[in-house]
Amino acid sequence: MSLTKRKDTLPIPPVDAEKYTTVCQYCSVGCGYNVFVWPEKRNGTAKSNAFKVDLSKQGQLMSGFSYTETMHNVITRKNGNRYNLAIIPAKESRINKGDYSIRGGTNALTAYTPTGVTKDRLKYPLLRKENGFVAISWDDAVEIIATLTKSSMDKYGADSVAMKFYDHGSSGLGFEDNWGAGKFFLSGVKTQYLSIHNRPAYNSEVWGSRERGMHELNYDVDDARLADTIVLWGSNAYEGATVFYTEHIMPNLQGGSIDEKKSEFAPGEPAEEGRIVIIDPRKNATTTVSQDISAERVLHLRPNLGTDWILANALARIAWENNWYDSAYLQKRTDMATFEDYKSKSLELAKPFAAFLADAEKITGVSRKEMEEAAAWMAKPKAGGFKRRTLTLYEKGIIWNMKNYDQVAAIAQLSVLTHNVGRPGTGCGRLGGHQEGYVRPGAPTPGSIYAGGPPKNVDKYITGGGGKIYWVGATDPYLSTPNSKFFKKSVKKRANNLLDYLDNGGIPSDPKAYVAKVLEAYEKTDGLFMIVQDIYKTHTSEDAMLILPAAGWGEAVDTSINCHSRLLRIYDKFMDAPGEALPDWKILALVGNKIKALYTADGNKEMAARFSGMEWKTDAEVFADGAQEFGDNRATEAEEARLSAECYKGVTHEMLRKLGNEGIQTPVRQDPASGKLVGTKRRYQYSFASKDGLFKWYGTDAWTGYPSEIAKYINNPTYPFWFTTGRSQHVWQTMYHDKRIPEKLMTVPLPYLEIHPDDAGKLNLKTGDMAEVFNEEGSCLALVYVNDATKPGLVFGIMFHAKGTMNNLTSSYTDPKTTIPWYKGTKVGVKKYNGKLDDAIKTVSLLSNNDFSMP
Amino acid sequence: MSDISRRKFLQTTSASALLLFSGLGRESQAASVQSYPSRKIANIKDLKVNEALAFNYPDENSPCVLVNVGQEAAGGIGKGKSVVSFSTRCTHMGCPLTYNNGRLVCKCHYSMFDVSRNGQTYQGLASQWVAQVVLRLDAATGNIFAEGVDGLIYGRIGNLKLS
Repeated sequence: MSLTKRKDTLPIPPVDAEKYTTVCQYCSVGCGYNVFVWPEKRNGTAKSNAFKVDLSKQGQLMSGFSYTETMHNVITRKNGNRYNLAIIPAKESRINKGDYSIRGGTNALTAYTPTGVTKDRLKYPLLRKENGFVAISWDDAVEIIATLTKSSMDKYGADSVAMKFYDHGSSGLGFEDNWGAGKFFLSGVKTQYLSIHNRPAYNSEVWGSRERGMHELNYDVDDARLADTIVLWGSNAYEGATVFYTEHIMPNLQGGSIDEKKSEFAPGEPAEEGRIVIIDPRKNATTTVSQDISAERVLHLRPNLGTDWILANALARIAWENNWYDSAYLQKRTDMATFEDYKSKSLELAKPFAAFLADAEKITGVSRKEMEEAAAWMAKPKAGGFKRRTLTLYEKGIIWNMKNYDQVAAIAQLSVLTHNVGRPGTGCGRLGGHQEGYVRPGAPTPGSIYAGGPPKNVDKYITGGGGKIYWVGATDPYLSTPNSKFFKKSVKKRANNLLDYLDNGGIPSDPKAYVAKVLEAYEKTDGLFMIVQDIYKTHTSEDAMLILPAAGWGEAVDTSINCHSRLLRIYDKFMDAPGEALPDWKILALVGNKIKALYTADGNKEMAARFSGMEWKTDAEVFADGAQEFGDNRATEAEEARLSAECYKGVTHEMLRKLGNEGIQTPVRQDPASGKLVGTKRRYQYSFASKDGLFKWYGTDAWTGYPSEIAKYINNPTYPFWFTTGRSQHVWQTMYHDKRIPEKLMTVPLPYLEIHPDDAGKLNLKTGDMAEVFNEEGSCLALVYVNDATKPGLVFGIMFHAKGTMNNLTSSYTDPKTTIPWYKGTKVGVKKYNGKLDDAIKTVSLLSNNDFSMP
Repeated sequence: MSDISRRKFLQTTSASALLLFSGLGRESQAASVQSYPSRKIANIKDLKVNEALAFNYPDENSPCVLVNVGQEAAGGIGKGKSVVSFSTRCTHMGCPLTYNNGRLVCKCHYSMFDVSRNGQTYQGLASQWVAQVVLRLDAATGNIFAEGVDGLIYGRIGNLKLS
């Protein structure tokens, strides 16, 4: 018996099918896709079709053309007619070359259909009444929000409005929506209580690198094929940035890019198969796949949680002691005044080398031998004295580590010390989670504590009773914020207090009367008016007062960049949004324009001016308006470092439509000689992004142990396990689409926990059992996998899942320098649950997901 | 090539056939119901646990494996419902799959399929589960027949539509 219903034939697009180019809605890789739409009953033929492929023949392996069951759907347009939709990976994209991941391969399945798995998309604004949500008109919704926001600002100040909005590219929609949200909240409302998607504050996750003068996206996909050594530090590329691994890292490890190296390297420079250093407490899929390719060219370091900056400094000290650096480069490109601080605090040159390394070994749990080998693989010059080329990519294992600022700074500095930035095959930055598309007016907090920060913690503000309006856009904090159980409990209480007050005597139907009663409630209760703007109802929206329906990927024109080449492309609109759903920028413009009108009516010109400039009619206008934020981008190649990383000034939607999958790499500069727009392949060859162009060194903190939020568990036998979290290759973020796709939910039916066989034996746990993971913050019930991914004493859980969140267990600790949380480390107890969830067990595979051993 | 002559395409527009093909709420197009050949591929007593038998189905250009996985498997036949069969074209990009201890594995990009769970991609890149061959056991003789394919064979617009 089949677990799912399958297809054994697919419809063929006719030659004249509508064709659009887009980019995958999911991860940082940004694979190119082509979209075909054609009337349901008017198919092409095997020989004559829009794919321009002879479909009468068996397709060959690795041909770059794939059209599978999951790449097709049938949509209904606003005209009521049904159309076939095929979304297939683009062979002509240099990012993916026809390759695709298990996420992107299902892009078509996520399209809205009135009878399919996505039928419960939000279609109308919904207001919470006595017995649940009822649809209201956009006019009423806009009037309620605008009047309430204005009244709240007038009475309680701008900080009475708090927001948690995504700021990324692709799935949420990129530059257009981010400019819309930015204009509304940063220019209009001007609240300090802003936060970015899952996290508690409005900040960069990599100020530790940016404040050195180095933006985190400084490399190109080609560098992963050219590198002598790739370092993946807290970044599980095979699962998280899959096609970047399979198309760019894997060929390098296999020796498939040696010819490319030869053509790019200096004459006589050794060009060999790549090596990889994986720094991760977990033996994840990236590690075991890489080991299967070539175990002798894989080095796996497993530091204790929270200790990575000590490890990075130790590797830097080893490079220093061995003279694996170029003094001339350091003198020319880096600030030698601040270098003294780095030498004294990070390299600790006053401490004897042996004693320094002994301390590092003790703190990190990584042996001196492993450290010396890793440092050599990263920095030791090659035969003939040629500088090694090392590409270092970190992600959430570093960013969401204890001491976010110092972790990122230490890795950035290790790379610059060894001149592994600005040359082919090098780079140091983020692997990325999602794509990017950030353009907004200046944020209230420009940087870390060293640059005007830290930013306000919105979670603590809201849970502490602060704020009157809390606007949540395309994020689900009940699952994704750290310490989520406490957050949910607090918000629910405040939302219910407001609802109880409104309900007493009846909830007014007239928008003006409704707002008047909310304002009355603000005086009498700690009520919180939560607005959730999303494509589906979410865990958080159950406590919203108002839910706003947003357009999704493919339903509006979007532009974004990927992470591994900063490749700007168009994500064209190929279908209508369901019901009355609107792009986020348009929703914010409607409310902004209404507030402007209200202030104009009051005669308050100053406030009306703050909300002006949102009169856009099209996506293209928003894109062009946002570009003004980047300022003058006339610059020579050697001046690229002074441009904002995502600068696209001068580029238009029409231009991007013509460029298709080729796109253009940001920062885009206007070349002074030719006047033409030119993209930037690789950054910081000539200078860094500081005022004087020099890289700014920073002396990191010494090891001081764990913060009190975690220290309380240490030596407490009730919580014997260190606990870390991560993602699964199969599902994207909170599974907002994936929980609706049967194959995905069957494969990952529940939150899961990985535990080492030694620990599992003591708890009498085996794969397929259920266990409760718990600590003083909260608990989560999880499906157990016993495998060697974790070390004894360390358990791993999927960060969040549609059916439960491990963030119930994470603490409220944030790095005091940046307000970035430590999602990736706490301590827990594990208790066997005496029952089985049979329906899930019957569909889920219980095979180990990090075992790639071949026959 | 002999199988190809036995192919039939039954055009249908009946409501019941449309319903049959639109499972799990997903929009699906049911332009045709294909008729697969019935072919004897092995006798159940010849199968050893975890030793895969290679054969081609529904035509000679479509490699498959038959295996007794030694435990109950979705779509399995035999006393323990443990005998299953799959296409060995990886649904990701068409590379050959190899059977190994309950899994079909692809060396190209490391997609891994669980043969006890309908060829579920439990790890790796393939967004489509591997296509499963529908089996029938003749109780009297122990002969195993391949009689259909559930899911699309990689590289085809239809499992039976090659020229």
